[in-house]
Amino acid sequence: MAKPTEVRTMSEAGSTYIDAFPAEAKVVRAAFYSSFLALAIGGLFGVVQTLHRTDVYRFMDSADYYTVLTAHGVLLAITFTIFFLVGVFTWAITTSLDRGVEDIRFTWAWYGLMVLGTALVAIPIFAGFTDSIDMSASVLFTFYAPLQAHPLFYLGLVLFVVGTWLAGVDWFRSWLAWKAENPDERIPLPTFMVLTTTLMWYIATLGVAIAILAFLLPWSLGLIDSVNPLLTRTLFWFFGHPVVYFWLMPAYMMWYIMLPKVSGGKLFSDPLARVVFVLFLILSVPTGIHHQYLDPGIAEGFKFIAMTNTMFLLLPSLLTAFTVVASMEHGARQRGGEGYFGWLKALPWRDPVFTGMALAGLMFAAAGFSGMINAGMNINYLVHNTFWVVGHFHLTVGTAVALTFMAVTYWFLPQVTGRALWNRSVALVQVVLWFVGMTFMSNAMHRAGLLGVPRRTAEPQYDGFEFEAAVGSVGELNAQIALGGILLTLSLALFFANVVGTAFNGKSDSLPANGYAETLSGSEDAPLVLDNLKLWTAIAVVLVIFAYTFPILSIVDRGGLFGPDVNPFPVSLDTLPVLGLVLEQYVTTALATAGELTGSIVTEVTP
Amino acid sequence: MRISKGALLVVLAFTVPLIVELRTVLVWVNIDLSVLESAALGLVIVGLVVVWAFLPEREDDRQERDDDQTDGDVPNGN
Repeated sequence: MAKPTEVRTMSEAGSTYIDAFPAEAKVVRAAFYSSFLALAIGGLFGVVQTLHRTDVYRFMDSADYYTVLTAHGVLLAITFTIFFLVGVFTWAITTSLDRGVEDIRFTWAWYGLMVLGTALVAIPIFAGFTDSIDMSASVLFTFYAPLQAHPLFYLGLVLFVVGTWLAGVDWFRSWLAWKAENPDERIPLPTFMVLTTTLMWYIATLGVAIAILAFLLPWSLGLIDSVNPLLTRTLFWFFGHPVVYFWLMPAYMMWYIMLPKVSGGKLFSDPLARVVFVLFLILSVPTGIHHQYLDPGIAEGFKFIAMTNTMFLLLPSLLTAFTVVASMEHGARQRGGEGYFGWLKALPWRDPVFTGMALAGLMFAAAGFSGMINAGMNINYLVHNTFWVVGHFHLTVGTAVALTFMAVTYWFLPQVTGRALWNRSVALVQVVLWFVGMTFMSNAMHRAGLLGVPRRTAEPQYDGFEFEAAVGSVGELNAQIALGGILLTLSLALFFANVVGTAFNGKSDSLPANGYAETLSGSEDAPLVLDNLKLWTAIAVVLVIFAYTFPILSIVDRGGLFGPDVNPFPVSLDTLPVLGLVLEQYVTTALATAGELTGSIVTEVTP
Repeated sequence: MRISKGALLVVLAFTVPLIVELRTVLVWVNIDLSVLESAALGLVIVGLVVVWAFLPEREDDRQERDDDQTDGDVPNGN
């Protein structure tokens, strides 16, 4: 085993992040607060949906369910996660390179662009709740055509994504400046993680950028008459699957560089961590078609390739499980833990930062198993478009990511505010309550999916048909889902109590120093080629070309670049009279034909 | 106590999925429990865990517990 590497952070000086980087701490804090605002609104909409779907308590029209669902998905899956991760990444870059950003005005500029984008997206979504404003964007998180949103929705998404691109430029600028001063140094691990994730994000967002700028935005503006829904769906999932890793990789980063630290130990292997992030860079994007196993128009062979790529993605996840658990065990043994399993008792279970991340990691293991079902072509048909899928992603983004982000918030908030955490006991109860609530909700969602209960439906109760459970009843599953949703809402309330309480706490001089975990096997043990970002990016691009060129050419060949004539939905009031006339014509023709037919039959049977 | 209160909270949280799915697992061996029976069994399990946790600790565990009292925001944790 190599000798432990040196601590490379502000912890040597014993200062907090806000002491070392006061200007950057303000941006990180603003990003966190933006993220929490989205979490609050999105979370509230979550419990509203849960109670509506399960028919426990309905106070809105079912048509509004889809507006609520859109806001829930966009605010949580995009706004909450990405605002939080840009804060974490800015912290990681500045801390691990031990230098501030190159130009703080540029940093505020990309943050401002993301805020503007979010506002533009939110306006048409929320306008969907009222008829007095003629705009809506109830197109769900996936905005599949022919569902059509107001142009502001697409424009806002573009600005938001451009904001993240500029954030990436900011991080690369910092690294290049650092590299010029330290030409022979290895890239510090947190910076390496940020750079590989950003490169993956640049490749992934090309799909959604083309989908919006070339097709959906011009379509919503009336510049083009039609789009090819299969093409825009495919471009969405080109982005839609890797966006999962854009959320997950910051969570992974926290498991690699913070969990060992709060466990009282060191990261087991820096080289393994680098391998994992390289694998995510090259494998995240060429997998999106596994979301389209039931889409007609994509040949089975292309779906098989996507499935194979997806299965390879299990490798970095399993490497992570091994490395993180080994790091936790090292920490526990440093604290006096002994035996095959006895070391588990020596872990700092009273620390909400540790417990939250450990529970999130455990739930992610369950998510990995249900993810394998989703990714397998044959067995996916059993659960596709059912509630199972909703259960799955509430374990991934809803727990592995969200619970990790909430848990590390209890470490980050004092760092970026200079104020002690309001209440650690409340924080501990909060993370455990999230685990319990999600156990009820997600487990029942998975089981309901196995019964065939559909997703994206306001009222999955049908006349003359009942879903039958092999064990128990659908009513019990609904009760579990509602109970889980309520517990999650309570957990959120405790989280915000701590955030607000901390914001109003007095300044503290006894906060822990900023820093991250040391390593048992450091960067000096990692092959130099791992730091060759150009090589890994080139391989990632080649794999994307292999995976997507022929499917996209085939889709365009069959359906055209702008598709057959597709009527947008929702139908505007202007088009209703036209539709009425068409309908009237059809009915008149049908009645006339029926009359003639009846007449001829009567003539034939009459003697 | 055999384990810290924090660890007890986490152990109780871990029992939740086991209790929730215990009924499904038992059906595989032809044991049908009602919701009420499952809840009662769950309460018994939780009670046993709590009783075990509050039993007087063994001497060799005391040191571990004392170490655990110092967990938390240990700078750099090393």
